This record gives sequence, C-alpha cells and structure tokens, in this order.
Amino acid sequence: MSARKVAREFFDHMQAADVDEILCMMTPDAAVSLVPLQVHGSMAAKGGDYLRELARSFPDLVIRLRRLFVTTDNTAVAEITIEGTQADAFLGAANLEKHVDLDQGWILEVTPDDRISAVTAYWDQNQLYRRLGVKRLDKITITTRGGGVGYRGHASGLRHDVT
Amino acid sequence: MGTEAMPAGCGTTSREATATATVIGFFDAYRARDVEGMIELCTDNADFRYVPFEVWGRQRVLHGDGKVCTIGKPIWTALIDAFPDLINTVTSIRADGEGNVAVQADISGTQAKDFGVIACAGGDFELPHLFLFHVTGHGLIDDVVSYWDNAQWKKQLGWFEVD
Repeated sequence: MSARKVAREFFDHMQAADVDEILCMMTPDAAVSLVPLQVHGSMAAKGGDYLRELARSFPDLVIRLRRLFVTTDNTAVAEITIEGTQADAFLGAANLEKHVDLDQGWILEVTPDDRISAVTAYWDQNQLYRRLGVKRLDKITITTRGGGVGYRGHASGLRHDVT
Repeated sequence: MGTEAMPAGCGTTSREATATATVIGFFDAYRARDVEGMIELCTDNADFRYVPFEVWGRQRVLHGDGKVCTIGKPIWTALIDAFPDLINTVTSIRADGEGNVAVQADISGTQAKDFGVIACAGGDFELPHLFLFHVTGHGLIDDVVSYWDNAQWKKQLGWFEVD
C-alpha cells in the first residue's frame, strides 16, 4: 500500500462511519490534533470520540476528497469536504436538521509499514456553527430557532468550550 | 521554531527544495509584513483560497476565493493594517516532488483597527493555520490555500457573533 491509499481508505472509513476500522489503521500510540476543537491526545480515545459523534450526528455523511498529495516524509495531506444532514446534537449544537458542507484540511502521518501515527485536522468551527444555525460563539446551544437551550455537549470527553 | 531551522526534508529533489525555499521566502516576507514581497513570489495569475474567509450578506455570500492579485493582496493588506505587529511562526514544512507544499504555522498579532465584523478591542491572538501551496517548476507560487478557525480567532479578540 502507499500513504495515498492509506489516506483514501481512512476517508472511506470515515464516510462509512467505520470508526473501529479507522482505529485499526493507527499505530498503538497514534496522536490526534483536532485543531479547531483544541482537542489533542490519543487517536484511540479522543479521535475515536470525535469520529463517533460525527457519525451519529450525520448518518448520511459524505466525504469528498478534493486534493491529496504525499510529501517526502510519507505524510498524506488532504483537502476534503464533509457533507451531511444533522440528525443529532453535534459539538454542543442542537439538532436543527441543517444540511452542512464544510471544507477541511487533514494531515495523516504514515509509517513505512502503512500505519497512521498522527492525525491533524483543520477547519473553521465558525463556518460549521453558521451552517448549524448557531448565532453566538459563547452560547452555541442557542440557535436561530432557539432550540436546544440547556444542552451542554455530548458526553464524549471532547472539549467544546461551551459556556 | 523559525523557518531558518526548517529542513526541506531528507533526500530532497530539486523541485522539492525549490518549492520549499519559495514558501520559506513567502513566510519571511509575510513576517516582514511585506505584501509586495509575498506577491513577487507568486505567478501573475496565482490562485488564492482562504477557506474560512466567508462574509454572509442578505443577498450573497462573499468568499476568499479568487486570485492572489485581486483577493489575496487586499486581504493581506487589510490584515496587516488591522494587526500592524502581525507575525508568523512556521512549525512545519512538508513538500513533495511535484510542487505541493504543506505548512503549519502560528499567526499572531494585536488588533489596532476593526477587521471585518470584528470590532477593535485591542486584543491579541495566536492562531494555528494550515497553508497549502503549489509552486511551479520555476519556483513561483501558483496556488495558495489556507485553513484556520475563525471561532477561536473571534473569541480571542473578544467577539462572539458568528456573523
């Protein structure tokens, strides 16, 4: 396999909500940085939590791989668009059944034996909140329809900076 | 880590080394707040896409998507005008042999003027960015893409409106 194939497989599994399959692609101590969530740590724990929440909240998730290249240190760099319709609370935002499309940049560090040792993801959380109907960053549960007040994020262990 | 300390990677090809050097020069110019210097490292028709740059009006949405000369230059100029001490620290540079370069960089500054919807409260920010470049075989940038999180940026500057 190659880092390019590893990356494609990673995003295929993300679209299919195969979180366990994704975690099987990792080295035992693989790290994750979900930069906009300020989540940094173990891919198995924190990365898995995020991916499960994503899958549960967007059961019709589509991942569109827009750009992929592999650098000389065997790192796969990808631009993707995630698309889906919200079906459950996500990162503290109540479910308004909004359709979301969001561009993201991902960095997957791949070992010579085709395991992923580190995952870093970038996106604009402000864009995501806008698409989910959130109006204020300090009150992300108060949406345009006023629903979901009181929700304080899913018990996934992710930090959402909900106040 | 400064750019001077950043290796182009082991076993560099000339294309990789050239592309890396160009991108390092770009961030050096950015750090010197030399917009003309940044533009001189780009082709005349270089593409530009600042993914989180999105202004929602009543009739239309403006995106930071176009050309370096028509969209990038005004954004960089306005940014430096609003944050006159704007600076960047490159934390990683990765390149392939086809002109693609991925850069992780922290950008920071102190707000001196309003910027877009963010009213000036004199706050400062430090924000991780992912930049993706494509550099031609002649060593000029013909594509600039960037990802960052506007939610964190706004919160650091004391602005909590999504729009």
